[in-house]
Amino acid sequence: MFNKDLQLHYSDSPEVDFSAAREMKPYLEEPKAMYVGAPGKRGYLNLGFELDTDGKSILRELDRRAPLIVQQELYFDEKLPGMPCVYILSSGGPNIDGDRYMQNITVGRGAMAWVSTGAATKLAGMKYNYSGMIQNIVLEQDAYLEFLPEPIIPHASTRFICDTRMCVDPTATVLYSEIYMGGRKYYNGGELFKFDILSVCSHGERPDGEQLFREKFIIRPDGGHIRDCGVMGKYDIFANVIVMTPPDKAEEIYKRTDAYIDRSRHLAAGVTHLPNGAGLLFKVLGMEPGPVKAAVREFASGVRMAIKGVPLPEEFPWR
Amino acid sequence: MDKRMTALFHLLQYSDATFPVGTFSFSNGLETASYEKLVHDAPTLEQYARSAARQAAFSDGVAALKAYRSCKAGDYNAIREIDSRLMLFKMNDEARLMLKRMGKKLAELASRIFTSEILRQWLSDIESDLTPGSYPVAQGIVFALSDLGEEDLYVSHQYGVINMILGAALRCVRVSHYDTQEILFRLAAETPDLYDEARDMDFGDMNCFVPEMDILASLHEKGSMRMFMS
Repeated sequence: MFNKDLQLHYSDSPEVDFSAAREMKPYLEEPKAMYVGAPGKRGYLNLGFELDTDGKSILRELDRRAPLIVQQELYFDEKLPGMPCVYILSSGGPNIDGDRYMQNITVGRGAMAWVSTGAATKLAGMKYNYSGMIQNIVLEQDAYLEFLPEPIIPHASTRFICDTRMCVDPTATVLYSEIYMGGRKYYNGGELFKFDILSVCSHGERPDGEQLFREKFIIRPDGGHIRDCGVMGKYDIFANVIVMTPPDKAEEIYKRTDAYIDRSRHLAAGVTHLPNGAGLLFKVLGMEPGPVKAAVREFASGVRMAIKGVPLPEEFPWR
Repeated sequence: MDKRMTALFHLLQYSDATFPVGTFSFSNGLETASYEKLVHDAPTLEQYARSAARQAAFSDGVAALKAYRSCKAGDYNAIREIDSRLMLFKMNDEARLMLKRMGKKLAELASRIFTSEILRQWLSDIESDLTPGSYPVAQGIVFALSDLGEEDLYVSHQYGVINMILGAALRCVRVSHYDTQEILFRLAAETPDLYDEARDMDFGDMNCFVPEMDILASLHEKGSMRMFMS
């Protein structure tokens, strides 16, 4: 079931190549400490979920290179007790100068999975190079994946690029969420929007190669427009949630999802259709991570209800 | 000199707010931004117009430049590819509708003015639903057929985006004609830098980041306000 291109790299962590990204060209100096690609700086994760002979979803494939860690799947979701849940951890702490990561997640035919991170992903300040991550998410027929990581916190002077490819069968559903904070809001007098650059691209395609959508944002706060009306305005955090799902399910979720600007909760959210009948795009703006995460979970719960007939369980109090 | 003067005349014609491609029907989310009191005076309108201009600068603007060059090279397949790649990037229904409606109107209008095989094929493929027929790609074709330069095209593209917002603002925001003209004059100075950045961009470089505008578009799409179509 697994992509042969990915299997070829089992013996070593693959190259994470962003040489075509012109926005990162100002940040190509070799870090003075550990070089780009040094052991422990080139993380690799290959997760493969599939049904076992009893029809239970399991984590069949697990390959990893430091600093990325996944231990084993757990079945702690009270609403979907048959769903394997996995936390991605990093032994290195924050992403640092010159880090390169690759994460591949494959969910086989009819299987389901939940993937998150153990804590917020911190992007440390960088002086010479940047941190980059490539993600390949592959869903086979009737597969279901919830990818709901904790927020990403860009520190002052950080540089980060991420490319996420989602190859999804027309019958499958993936919910892929990202929450970006403007920075360490309460650290050192406030570090909002002091990072150098965030470049984030997510694109969807079918197994036959048909391209469905491509969203890319490049944020350089030093341009002075980040607080403009229409960009972030007065908000400090944004969330981007992509749902690739069959059109009838997309319509059901779209109808039950509200768009709103809620001044009392300092929250705004909107939903729209992705191009080419690929699914939905849900966006949230807010001031604090708690309400933004809650809005994303509420939306995710609606997605799960449409696909699996049950909502998300209540969030753990420590999350 | 005569040729350049004629070309300049055409540049003014294509960029005019009354050029019949339906610009007046769209507000790019301003209708909702005004209703929600996010845009309520000249300074907030200027910010909003700048956001819209920057959003288009590195997506629609890049597509327009690539279509212009492909038309000049006589490469029709490349024009079709640009059209589909641009639509992959359009993340809401109203934005896709706007680009397709305006694009088709421009293609129909241009086919009455120019005799061009590329244009004939382009309009035929739009009518047969073989290609989306987006407005920036149509702009690229028309400018290439008009002896206008790609800088002219980029200026017209940016002017069109900004003027659409400002034109809509006169109908839904408490601002005067003086305010909108001052904003237009100031934003003109930002176009050269945008062009410098956009001119060498490829598909993979196309980008935009306007989450608040995206949410306003969703509010409009799900709401019942319909002075404008977006």
